[in-house]
Amino acid sequence: MSEQRRQILQMLAEGKITADEAERLLTAVETEEPDAAPAARGGKRPKFLRLVVDANDEYSGETKVNIRVPLKLLRAGVKLAVFVPPQALERANQELVKQGVPVDLTEIKPNQLEDLVDALDDLTLDVDQTDTKVRIYCE
Amino acid sequence: MIPQLVTARWRRPDGRVRRLFLPVVPIVLLLSPLLVLAVIGGVVACLMFDMPPFKTLAGVGRVFWALPGARFEIEQGRTAVVVSVR
Repeated sequence: MSEQRRQILQMLAEGKITADEAERLLTAVETEEPDAAPAARGGKRPKFLRLVVDANDEYSGETKVNIRVPLKLLRAGVKLAVFVPPQALERANQELVKQGVPVDLTEIKPNQLEDLVDALDDLTLDVDQTDTKVRIYCE
Repeated sequence: MIPQLVTARWRRPDGRVRRLFLPVVPIVLLLSPLLVLAVIGGVVACLMFDMPPFKTLAGVGRVFWALPGARFEIEQGRTAVVVSVR
């Protein structure tokens, strides 16, 4: 349910508007929404996650990385990660703690990972340093 | 859709470019006897590590099916590597 619909129903429940007014407002929202959603997403859902790195340092010279990963592949990987046995996660946790990253992988649930991948659609990450540029986005 | 063609291209520091085209379906058919052995090995490994073998195989299949469109391109100095899956 969109935020606008929720607000209209809230106003109706609080008695601030009548049922007729709520109906008119909901109709107006319905006519707006089909046009607004594709515009916000550029017409269609992104299919790929793109990572672009452009670095230039004095030791290794100019380095360019351009990686395109289908979002479908990320989703498939997340579904596969569900089957990782708990003892493997425990060992991974121990290694992460040794590296100074105290993350408990057993606490991460598959649903959360799927939500994370779904939310990547709107992701744009830009890191701009003097000799390094990193850009992560969906297209 | 399963991957049809994997293209690998790399440029050596001396400037020479090599290309490798791997048609996936003929290679899978050619290596199918080995793949059967690999699947059996995978099932045994899943059973050893308390993983559901068929769900895991289905998950691996989904990853394989989702590969088309992937592209990795790395260039450092005069060396470059490009791998794309179509």
